[in-house]
Amino acid sequence: MTDFNYTPNEYKSDLKPVWCPGCGDFGVLNSLYRAMAELRMDPHDTVVVSGIGCSSRLPGYVEAYGFNSLHGRALPIATGVKMANPHLNVVVVGGDGDGIAIGGNHFLHTARRNADMTYIMMDNQIYGLTKGQAAPTTPLGDKTKSTTYGNPEAAVDPCALAISFGASWVGRGFSGDIKGTAELMKVAMQHRGFAFLDIISPCVTWRGDDQHKEFRARVRPVPAEHDRTNMPAALALTNEGGPITTGVLYDVTRPTLIDETVEIRDKAIALKKVPTKQELLKAFM
Amino acid sequence: MASAREGLSVIKTEAYGPQIRGGESSCTVRISATPIHAQADALDALVVFHWADFARFREELTLAKNAVVFFDAADAAPEDMGMYRLFPIDFSARRGAKNIFALGLLSAVFGLPGDAVRGAIRGRFAKKGEAVITANVEAFDAGFANGLELAIGADKLDYVATTPKLLMSGNDATAIGAVEAGCRYFAGYPITPSSEVLHSLSEWLPRLGGSCLQTEDELAAIGAVVGGSFAGAKSMTATSGPGLSLMSEMLGLAAIAEVPAVVVNVQRGGPSTGIPTKSEQSDLWHSLYGGHGDMPRVVLACSDVEDSFHATVDAFNIAEEFQTPVIVLSEQCIAQARQTLDPESLVHEVLDRRIATPEELETYRRYRVTDDGVSPMSIPGMKLGEYQTNGLEHDEQGRPSAMYATHEVMNAKRWRKLEAIAKKYGHLFTRFGPERPDLGILCWGSSAGVVREAVDRLTARGHRVAAFAPRILMPLPADEMQAFIDAAKSLLLIEISFAKQFHRYLRSELVLPRDLHVYARSGGKNLTIGEVMTEALRALAVPVMNDEVLA
Repeated sequence: MTDFNYTPNEYKSDLKPVWCPGCGDFGVLNSLYRAMAELRMDPHDTVVVSGIGCSSRLPGYVEAYGFNSLHGRALPIATGVKMANPHLNVVVVGGDGDGIAIGGNHFLHTARRNADMTYIMMDNQIYGLTKGQAAPTTPLGDKTKSTTYGNPEAAVDPCALAISFGASWVGRGFSGDIKGTAELMKVAMQHRGFAFLDIISPCVTWRGDDQHKEFRARVRPVPAEHDRTNMPAALALTNEGGPITTGVLYDVTRPTLIDETVEIRDKAIALKKVPTKQELLKAFM
Repeated sequence: MASAREGLSVIKTEAYGPQIRGGESSCTVRISATPIHAQADALDALVVFHWADFARFREELTLAKNAVVFFDAADAAPEDMGMYRLFPIDFSARRGAKNIFALGLLSAVFGLPGDAVRGAIRGRFAKKGEAVITANVEAFDAGFANGLELAIGADKLDYVATTPKLLMSGNDATAIGAVEAGCRYFAGYPITPSSEVLHSLSEWLPRLGGSCLQTEDELAAIGAVVGGSFAGAKSMTATSGPGLSLMSEMLGLAAIAEVPAVVVNVQRGGPSTGIPTKSEQSDLWHSLYGGHGDMPRVVLACSDVEDSFHATVDAFNIAEEFQTPVIVLSEQCIAQARQTLDPESLVHEVLDRRIATPEELETYRRYRVTDDGVSPMSIPGMKLGEYQTNGLEHDEQGRPSAMYATHEVMNAKRWRKLEAIAKKYGHLFTRFGPERPDLGILCWGSSAGVVREAVDRLTARGHRVAAFAPRILMPLPADEMQAFIDAAKSLLLIEISFAKQFHRYLRSELVLPRDLHVYARSGGKNLTIGEVMTEALRALAVPVMNDEVLA
């Protein structure tokens, strides 16, 4: 890694993706290489954390530190990484089932804390790795392997969740638009605080070849007049039914988890000083 | 606190109901001029403000035959208390500071260090201003005077003041141990009876340049610990049974990804919510075996407050050096009891992680197969150290693999670390009493202190009794323990687990005699010296009267 030139290709590891030909995740991965290159992110200072699922295989394909962890638990691990070393760039990747079903509680609290990281969700509206069961994002009525008679549950929009949970940056992309998605990733990764990027990423195997075409027909850019600091306006661009709005939906500034951690540290030291063990033991004398 | 300053030995245990605030509670204090290892069985003195509250603890409190009982003159004593030395006191006539008044009374009657108590009162109320201090010191003096007036002929504490001791709980000692070991990241979820570790470290770690996170649940707590440790910080969480259950899957990840992680599990009654405020030794199996797959882990046990400190530092040393999860088993009766200890005893060697050297990074393989199973670790931020870690089985480079051959080699590599740990930490056990005893007692955790007191008393009566308590439970110090078992003429095993978890574990690891005496019962009541003596004398086939044991 002595002559690292920050080209997209150099961020490719020598591991070949296990994804199906035509999977939307290839587009997401290529966008990520491009975004990392353009931001000149140092591989040794970057940690890519994932849970379990097709898309959670992604850390292995990136030249950086990677952690392919447990189903649903990427966000707490990423929080630990960032708090232990705030200097690191922390990027979390995973699927919609991983992040909203089994990991939903962590999504809420990591967003609420405004933890300093980028969370990229590859949203295919299905469980791919376990071979085709309904996810919390699967539309009502859809037939899947686990919903033979049609999905009886209403779907959630990950962006609507993220905005209400307290994420300070929320965007949506489409894996078919590699350049546009890379641009969104760049903005997300430069955001201070918890940035959530939902990327519509078709599953050719379990949602059919038409899903890609269907999504392409539905995506439209965020209206030019949209006020991204306005929460109701941002929420109005979620759960739209027909169109899928891509771009930056929400972007506000508020103190991050690391800001608060540093402030607490400064306050504690100013109030009570850096203690020696003897000083700590005084409380027990 | 005052007694600790005088260099006396103190053990203070509390019992309380599940109330959020107020309600009945009881507090037992044993003070001695010589070292003590367990709470005493029988009370020499009892202070009762309300007999109705006393009734809630009646079954759990044993009074010595000539016990002195102070009670509120306005609340008539029940008839069955007639056998004790009863002293009605005008508690309810006092407007406040009843506890402090009672402390004065006890100090006069039993010769507790009056000036030191006054000093402790001043310290305790320092933040509340001079008026509060004066009122409390006056209450103490009034109680003291009242006590002298009573002219009770009780045995007085006979001692010479020595070096001041510390008075702290097991949870305090655990937190101090964490700081000593270099822990700079703590993530935890509140749970009785371990929350005090979270409280202390949330105050201390920021001052030490570290940080603390109160998570949304125990899944996140252990997740953040694994993440923090992966990123290079010595990291820990503390929990109790229900939390440990939730952490099982992530501990498996720490084992296969070879990330150091320390979990302090303060045991309470179980299963499920069980008895959150009382002790039991029933998380042993979960700690030893919990989690799916062939998952190596290390389990340590602490036997008292001071040992909570040492076990915590040992846990970090082992976790860091061998890149493995380590569970420290504490118990409510250690974690929330206060005990005196010598400040000089809180010293322990600290070891660090084996970090990859620049030479190793040239051809870096994160999971390189080595003799002792430990592969040098790189930390995010280190150039050339980039690797992907994985909950999937993986090869030496961390790349996922579903091949049998890789799985076999990697399982063997990870489990070899336990062999190395067994060699290096096989000394982590406590043994007392003579060689080749007539009776050998096997126990663990908090039982060790109670057994020690029982062994001392049995020895004083001329019996040859010894005891063995492992402080590392996985890997077990098997050779030493087997030698102890083989050398004893008869054996008694003592544990606070209805399902006999310790007994069955030892059966699977060691050769135990068929006629082993097993005393195993549920938690919810702490083990007493009397119980151990009764069982020991039974195992020795010595007839015994109950009174004799308790005396």
